Amino acid sequence: MTGVLIAAVAVPFGAFLLLGLVSWVDLPLGERAVSAVAVLSAAVSAGLLAAVATGGPLRVPLGTWFDGFPLVLAADGLSVPVGVLAGLLGALIGAFSRRYLHRDPGFRRFHLLLALFVAGVQLVVLAGTLDLLVVGWELTGLASALLIAFFHRRRGPVVHGLRAFATYRLCDVGLVGAAVVAHHGGPPLAVGLLLLWGAMGKAAQFPFGGWLPRAMEGPTPSSAICYGAISVSLGPYLLLRTAPEWSQAPAVPVLVVVVGGLTAVHATLVGRAQTDVKTSLAYASTTQVGLVLVEVGLGWELLALVHLLGHAALRSAQILRSPSLLHDHHHLEQALGEPVGHGGGSWQRLVPRPVRLWLYRFALERGYLDAVLVARAAGAARLVRRCAAADDGLVRRLAAADDGPARAAVAR
Amino acid sequence: MTIDDLVAHAAGLLPEQGPLQAFVHHNTLHAFEHLPFTDAVTRAAEVFGTEPYLGEAAFHEFLASGRITPDDLDAVVAAEVVDDGVPVVPGGPTLRRFHEVRLRHRVEVPRGPALHWLLAETDAVDAVDPRWDVLRAAAPGPADPPDRPRPRDRVLAATGVDPDHLVHPLLIRFTAAFLDQGVAAWPMPERDRGLLAAFRALYGRAGGPPEPFLRGLAACLREHGDRPADQTVAWAMDELEVSEEDRGAVVTATLLSLRGWAGMVRQFESRPDRAPVAARPARLVDYLAVQLTLDLFAARHVRATAPPADDVAPLPGLELVYEAFALARLMDVPLADHDRASTWLGVVDGCDEVERRRLLHLAYERRHRVGVLDGLTAHQRLAVPAGTPAFQAVFCLDEREESVRRHLEECCPAAETFGFAGFFGVAMNYRGLDDVRPRPLCPVVVTPRHTVVEQPIDSGRAPRRLRARWTRSVAVGSRTLVRGSLASVALGVAGLASLVGRCLFPRAAHRWSHRPAPAVPTRLVMEFSPAEMTDIVSAVLRTTGLGLGLAPVVLVVGHGSSSLNNPHESAHDCGATGGGRGGPNARAFAAMANDPTVRSGLAERGTLIPEGTWFVGGYHNTCDDTMTYYDEDLVPAGLVEPLQAAKDALAEACVLAAHERCRRFESAPPDLAPEDALAHAEAHAVDLGQPRPEYGHATNAVCVVGRRALTRGLFLDRRAFLASYEPAADTDGALLASLLAAVGPVCAGINLEYYFSFVDPAGYGCGTKLPHNITGLIGVMDGHASDLRTGLPWQMVEIHEPVRLLLVVEATPQRLSAIVAANPVLERLVSGGWIRFAAWVPERDEVFVFQDGAFQPHVRERTAFPVVARSVEVYAGSRDHLGCAHVLAEADVPVPVP
Repeated sequence: MTGVLIAAVAVPFGAFLLLGLVSWVDLPLGERAVSAVAVLSAAVSAGLLAAVATGGPLRVPLGTWFDGFPLVLAADGLSVPVGVLAGLLGALIGAFSRRYLHRDPGFRRFHLLLALFVAGVQLVVLAGTLDLLVVGWELTGLASALLIAFFHRRRGPVVHGLRAFATYRLCDVGLVGAAVVAHHGGPPLAVGLLLLWGAMGKAAQFPFGGWLPRAMEGPTPSSAICYGAISVSLGPYLLLRTAPEWSQAPAVPVLVVVVGGLTAVHATLVGRAQTDVKTSLAYASTTQVGLVLVEVGLGWELLALVHLLGHAALRSAQILRSPSLLHDHHHLEQALGEPVGHGGGSWQRLVPRPVRLWLYRFALERGYLDAVLVARAAGAARLVRRCAAADDGLVRRLAAADDGPARAAVAR
Repeated sequence: MTIDDLVAHAAGLLPEQGPLQAFVHHNTLHAFEHLPFTDAVTRAAEVFGTEPYLGEAAFHEFLASGRITPDDLDAVVAAEVVDDGVPVVPGGPTLRRFHEVRLRHRVEVPRGPALHWLLAETDAVDAVDPRWDVLRAAAPGPADPPDRPRPRDRVLAATGVDPDHLVHPLLIRFTAAFLDQGVAAWPMPERDRGLLAAFRALYGRAGGPPEPFLRGLAACLREHGDRPADQTVAWAMDELEVSEEDRGAVVTATLLSLRGWAGMVRQFESRPDRAPVAARPARLVDYLAVQLTLDLFAARHVRATAPPADDVAPLPGLELVYEAFALARLMDVPLADHDRASTWLGVVDGCDEVERRRLLHLAYERRHRVGVLDGLTAHQRLAVPAGTPAFQAVFCLDEREESVRRHLEECCPAAETFGFAGFFGVAMNYRGLDDVRPRPLCPVVVTPRHTVVEQPIDSGRAPRRLRARWTRSVAVGSRTLVRGSLASVALGVAGLASLVGRCLFPRAAHRWSHRPAPAVPTRLVMEFSPAEMTDIVSAVLRTTGLGLGLAPVVLVVGHGSSSLNNPHESAHDCGATGGGRGGPNARAFAAMANDPTVRSGLAERGTLIPEGTWFVGGYHNTCDDTMTYYDEDLVPAGLVEPLQAAKDALAEACVLAAHERCRRFESAPPDLAPEDALAHAEAHAVDLGQPRPEYGHATNAVCVVGRRALTRGLFLDRRAFLASYEPAADTDGALLASLLAAVGPVCAGINLEYYFSFVDPAGYGCGTKLPHNITGLIGVMDGHASDLRTGLPWQMVEIHEPVRLLLVVEATPQRLSAIVAANPVLERLVSGGWIRFAAWVPERDEVFVFQDGAFQPHVRERTAFPVVARSVEVYAGSRDHLGCAHVLAEADVPVPVP
């Protein structure tokens, strides 16, 4: 079983390396073969994990990075279901993308990134220590950001890919910090807070969620697997995985519940005013992931897991179907025999006009979070620029102290 | 000019595309139709920043592959470039020779810094060649930067920060919410008062978005109160320091900066009846007032906060010098002094990139035109007239039906086919049994006066619709907080099953989820008076020549297309029904033609429908090549068997047509068996992962108006619209005039939309489908919060050949000149060169092409074409465009395809 578990992680990595190598030496590999590598590797990974599950919980030490940093893979009741679903979704989306991206110039790049994404996810899911998890976490984030910026010739995808990447990096500080503090035997409160910080970015939690609707820039299948399903689920998964470490500090579960609850309420309000199908689904995802976080905080781990997996499958199916909205709307109308209508009836009856106007604007403007955060980020950037300018000035003054010929030589 | 005039002028430049539910093909450059085609594409390229023709690289590939021949180049140059026989500079070529050589050679001229690098770091320019220095000395100075009156452009130039990046997201969000047809759960409050009033109501309240650039907006909006939109526009332009004479340019540039959304606002304003669910009180001037107000705040904010950008000194224009130098070397032209160098630079500049692309485009079109006209005239001598038909079938003139008709005639030589605009003259508002609201089924230029309703024969118990309600509650509920969590926990397995099915077994999954409900027998209830119905039937019978000898069974076949994962689904539907599905029109026409009062009315007018003739309406789904027939229970007993035979023949033709069509899909193996073709086509139609359900009108290039007898058995590769026209019945040309008035603009609209979406997929088309995001049930954006994308997606046009429509009409040049002169729309299309127009006189075996204001005889280049027994022998194994071929089952010794 040990080898099987290692293979479950190694196979997707192998697929990534193979596709990378093929791209590197520019082998004329057809679409069918590229797709087969990505699909089969993900399917095999899911299958191997399912095989591991028959043998009960398993911990496989891979050796030691250096003293005190063991590398361990763990298969248990938490990681195996998530890993199986991730592999399965990866394979399904890969099979779907073979038709969807047919003839696209980025076909190979897409499958390369998909393989990297699946590999990263399997590493996150099966990692038995925080250190190993960080590696997978970074790879997943990198693959997601590059998939968002897939259409890199337009400005929007690049800006929004960068936004997601920046959010990930900001929150990775929390995760890496948690690993460091844990190694130094820091208090569970600090570890818990840092872990929550780390989880908030990837799970698009309040107030870091602004990147998620913007991430709907890549091809539809990548949006489905990353932002409908797996990528956003990694945040709650991280907290579930590390629950034994942070649950000793009573403040952390409360904070987890607060963050999840705030996110759920915020996202469900905001989602109601969104008029494009992918943004609407993005906020629907955020809402449910927020609720899962609430369940995690309350300690209902089984419910949280079922909720997380069920949501991942349902939402990715919805996002895959989103380009058929006009078709579906028309047929639903016919089947209903009446206009589909919207759910705003009670909202118009019960909420007084000024509140309605205020709430609507709040929802349409996504709770003003972007404006607040961007203003803060701009402030920080200004500070950085000032420091850089001061540094420049200092260097110039130092240079001025040197003699003339030397300066001229430098200038040349 | 008042603000309203300026807005109306700018509105003319906005995309004319309405909500995606009913896609109507039209000339993308409708605003430039008063200009000749070649001027229009160049002018539009300047206004929109788009491409006028294919790129030079593409044309040179065509030259290399033989798609454009050297003869084509020389013929085009001879026609377009005057030649006085004098060298342009002593020792150099004549102007015509210069063009001939220039078009054959591609000179890569690096731009800007790349050229400077090339000159500085490589020996691309030979330093000892004196011509370089002479040319450099004679080079004109750098051109003045274009005048940009829009304040945003000035701010961008001064600071390097684009204020549109602040304004557009908010404007897109707001406009989308205003126009939304039912994606958002909450409707926008105050929407009924108009766009500007809703904006003021929402953003004029205190405590608004804390974005720095919006500081002071609420107070400003409150201060404006209910000020009319045009006053707000004028105020904003004054505040932005726009001078009086620049106002028009600023209004235009501002609206064009987000032209998809502005165009959609205008569509809601001008055609509220085309709103898919509910009309909104949208006005373009309101939208402009909002945009300019935001522009003002953004411009102020950027000027106040952004540091000034570094001025980049423009580099001198060395590109022309480099190009002239390379050409002087290529053509071995001595350039001794300044004057000659200067002349040479002028000659080189006169044949700039746009001009070269224009000439190459003409050569590209010429090869196609000559091939088709030669094929038509060659076939005329071989075409075998059909005997007494066993049955007849009237199709839409759509070029996708060309293959079905050809295969039907191949399978069943006793069949006779006709082509007519796919609404068959029945202009109606139609409401099907399940439809929630009626929709027009007729060309967009026609406003239907009558409603036709489909009603069940037995009004039984209303259906319970439990499944639909369940679907709705899952779709809506899964996005909410509480119901969404229940759905996630309870329906996760269902989601997974759906994913497995849709990703791995698309056909089976679709069949399972679309189990057909038992069909309810229905009839059409029509408001038309007997006289109107007689007119409609009479026009079709006389124009097509169908009335000359009716068979016992006449099928009338409308068409449409059904597909998944395709926001542009309705762009595959029938253009003659205004982007709807033509089945009901065919059904209504058949019902009219079977009506005894109509028949007696026709008899009075001299058109006799024999007692033993029955019309049956049908519907052809061009995406999966299936057929549906209507009102079969009314068919007289004696005709049941002949009808069955006709249906069987048509079913076989559909299989073969699907097989022919599949050759274009790379997903189909080149040796696809005919019996697998339908399954392959169906898989394309029902697969969520399939961005190419069908190729629609792609590759359309020709329209032939004339007797089918002339083209019967001619392989036209699904590229020709075929309208049946019987000249014998049309002594005064009135039938032809009304036929061309409809066919010309409709086919030109389809053809030009494909042309522009192909030559500039990002500028005129809506780019690749893969990131498309449906917004408000009205259109698609590229990913998150982009402009509304209009035009056709790349996956729909990728196999197109961008040539203008070649409209060939069986009539004398004199008659055509008279008809065109009497119809201003046709006149503009023909004399402006938006279509290529040809008169075909089969009796005299002549074809005349309209060129430079007159019909000029076409000179035949090729007389022999392949002769085969079945179409499959022509297309088997090929994915490319194919030339004409004679498909003659009677041919004794087939001539193989070269």
